[in-house]
Amino acid sequence: MTVFSDMLDYLLDGANWTGSGGMLALLVQQLLLTVTALVVALVVGLPIALWLGHLGRGGFLAINISNVGRAIPTFALLGLFVIADPWGWTGDTFPGTAELGPYGRAGGATLVALALFALPPIITNAYVAMREVPDDVKEAATGMGMSGWQRFWRVELPLSMPVLTSGVRLALVQVWATATIAALVAGPGLGRVITDGFFRSNYGKGLAGAVVVAAVALVLELLGALLQRLLDPMSGAEAALGPDDDADRPDDSEAGRGTKASVTALKVEEAETFGD
Amino acid sequence: MNLRRPLAAVFTATLLLATGACAGDDLANDDESDSPSDGASSDTGSESSAPPASDGEAVTIASQSFPEAAMVASMYEQLLEAGGYTAEVQLVDARDAYMSTFPGDVDVVPEYVGGIVNFLNTRENGDSAKPFESGDGQQLADDGAQLLDEAGITLLDISEATDTNAFFVTKKYSEDNDVTKLSDLKGKSIKLAAAPDCEGRLDCEGGLSDQYGIDITEVLPLGYASDQTYKAVIDGEVELGETSTTDGTLESQDLVVLEDDMQIQPAQNLVPAVSTEFLTAHPDLADLLNPLMGKLTTENLTELNARVSVNREKAEDVAKSFLTEEGLL
Amino acid sequence: MVTLLAPHSADFEIPCYSRIDNEWFCQQYFEDRGGDLVDATVQHIQITVAAIVLGVLIAFPLALIARRWSRLETPLLAVSTGIYTIPSLALFPLLVPFTGLSRTTVVIGLALYALTILVRAILAGLRAVPDDVREAAVGLGYGPARLLFRVELPLALPVIMAGLRVATVSTVALTTVGSLVAYGGLGNLIKDGVTNNFRAELAAAAILCVVLAVLLDVLLVVAQWLLTPWTHRGTSRPRTRSRVDDRVDDEVGAPA
Repeated sequence: MTVFSDMLDYLLDGANWTGSGGMLALLVQQLLLTVTALVVALVVGLPIALWLGHLGRGGFLAINISNVGRAIPTFALLGLFVIADPWGWTGDTFPGTAELGPYGRAGGATLVALALFALPPIITNAYVAMREVPDDVKEAATGMGMSGWQRFWRVELPLSMPVLTSGVRLALVQVWATATIAALVAGPGLGRVITDGFFRSNYGKGLAGAVVVAAVALVLELLGALLQRLLDPMSGAEAALGPDDDADRPDDSEAGRGTKASVTALKVEEAETFGD
Repeated sequence: MNLRRPLAAVFTATLLLATGACAGDDLANDDESDSPSDGASSDTGSESSAPPASDGEAVTIASQSFPEAAMVASMYEQLLEAGGYTAEVQLVDARDAYMSTFPGDVDVVPEYVGGIVNFLNTRENGDSAKPFESGDGQQLADDGAQLLDEAGITLLDISEATDTNAFFVTKKYSEDNDVTKLSDLKGKSIKLAAAPDCEGRLDCEGGLSDQYGIDITEVLPLGYASDQTYKAVIDGEVELGETSTTDGTLESQDLVVLEDDMQIQPAQNLVPAVSTEFLTAHPDLADLLNPLMGKLTTENLTELNARVSVNREKAEDVAKSFLTEEGLL
Repeated sequence: MVTLLAPHSADFEIPCYSRIDNEWFCQQYFEDRGGDLVDATVQHIQITVAAIVLGVLIAFPLALIARRWSRLETPLLAVSTGIYTIPSLALFPLLVPFTGLSRTTVVIGLALYALTILVRAILAGLRAVPDDVREAAVGLGYGPARLLFRVELPLALPVIMAGLRVATVSTVALTTVGSLVAYGGLGNLIKDGVTNNFRAELAAAAILCVVLAVLLDVLLVVAQWLLTPWTHRGTSRPRTRSRVDDRVDDEVGAPA
């Protein structure tokens, strides 16, 4: 099929990668946006979610805000930020379409939209992670004389790391893939390669852009797995605890962890709402 | 025996399946009248006072989404529905997006003679094919006759109304840099805001770079004659913007069109492009659409455009009032 | 700032949503363009529901296959994850040469994305059914079909519904990207609003989109509540008693 050979031609042509509008520059732009958005979401969402999880309160609110967050289309958010001038005094440039340093055109708008997009999975996973720490472990810690604060830092947080990092990993890949939508508002990132290609009947180029995005998504997934292994204080201990039952069968892919966490979150919410 | 659960399950399943089936029905038949941007409601179906030439037969119209094209598409839709068809309009950002299904799933397109002929030319003969550059609509249609034939497309009557690309700058830029025509920009580094398919096209970035020798450093796909494009030029994000010669909103925004002194724009008369196969099966299409081509002029087109893009009257309403005034409906 | 007044009929008043005023919330917009919003919402619902139904119809047998032949599970899940990494921006235009500019293109793309979440949810749900319940039912003479539909699925419902909710809400949001190929439901209005700085249109479409997603989510919660009465029957059960035990009582009769 000629489309695939066109795509390969495009990918192998160095000229397409270099320069200010080249794929490498756009890739870096999108990567910077992804990481920054994620960091912002972590700084904003993590403390709240972790603390609520520690207290065991506010789950209903936390999880439902997450649900609503997931319901907001990123495209709509981007559109709103791009044409909005919410505080008049910024003179129509914030967030708007202004170029924000290395983040490119409409960088500010894209950054905020992506950070908001990253919040739901992070909040959900953080809350659930804290709630899943077994009660008897928490009781033992209290029995040992630990204060709430100490318990949080020395027991609950380390134990919640696996699910937590799982959420961060999920958010990372989802934000990366969603960042392509910025192209719909002539924003930054590799999405532009895709739309340019398709709107000029250059399917090879469009496909090339898609392939690069997918490839980096897989790389990020693997990096995330590595990070998770590094941050997991209990790695290796699982074997000692014996086999889990079928329901806990590890499903390590991004979508798998995402589903599991969301599902657990909804069950927790259900228990708190309908709970007996 | 607890009946509540099975009943609830049946209820939910039926609800979901029914909605799914309705959607599936639409997917299968593609019969429903639906214009996402025009807002024609589905009960404008096949109600007409004229004796229907075709009984609610489906016809698909695709068009570019900029205001003028959308409005003309709405005119086509209303004329065809009055003629007894059930029309569906699909709007996309660039010609490229519908050309893979036209002719085929798409039957009619409100086209521009230079645009369609040159598109087919580059598609057939590659990017470096010699473009058709005539400034006369009929000439262009004749030049491209073989390409149209091979593609299975027939052009109906060519209108005297034309809409070519026009490039504009802010009044200030024009005065400060003493620029009144495009050749004044030769050798300058310029950023351009335009339609997504601009890059490489002879009547857009391609022509500006190759013929005028302008160094176009970046093309922002903000749309043809769109507010985002105006804004980018006004804000100074880009120097040059692409709009249409039927755009009447420029003066009030302190924007000026630069003269196309090298005449790189081919004739862009409005013309209905129809799938040859569809036309053969439905010859009445010509009688329904050609009268419109006779009535459209560049002047009244400009006026109608302004009503849609400034007043934001519904494209459908503006189309209808024009068609009624001209006695076409 | 546009000050041009375009020609118009004598009794025409410049509306508050015109380029000249361009207000965010304008009642006249809803009066004049209400039809646009309704059409777009209807298209949006059609596409979302069709995509979810298609997704479930494909996901269900796939999950059963993965459960039955565990060697197939890894490749199946890997393929669906692979689909997930293709950006939606690319998937829709890629399908156009095959399925044309139509709802079908968008529905297929969305169903493929939903598939990932749904297969895992159905699989996880079915796996959450305790073995002893299954064994008890088989011991009572339940054949495989009856076992699946009368015991396993109802017990798996909470997990499956949770996945369905996530899939539905995500699909409503992702449908907007379909505007790239002319079928994005409310996304069409969003795109038009951004391109033409049409504030009233953008605000209305964006808000409606969120409302739609939340509505569908609530609908699913209600459906789940109706379908799993044993999870909220009575108020005095101790927390440690599992929902599964309740369901077993319900189905099998005597307390286990």
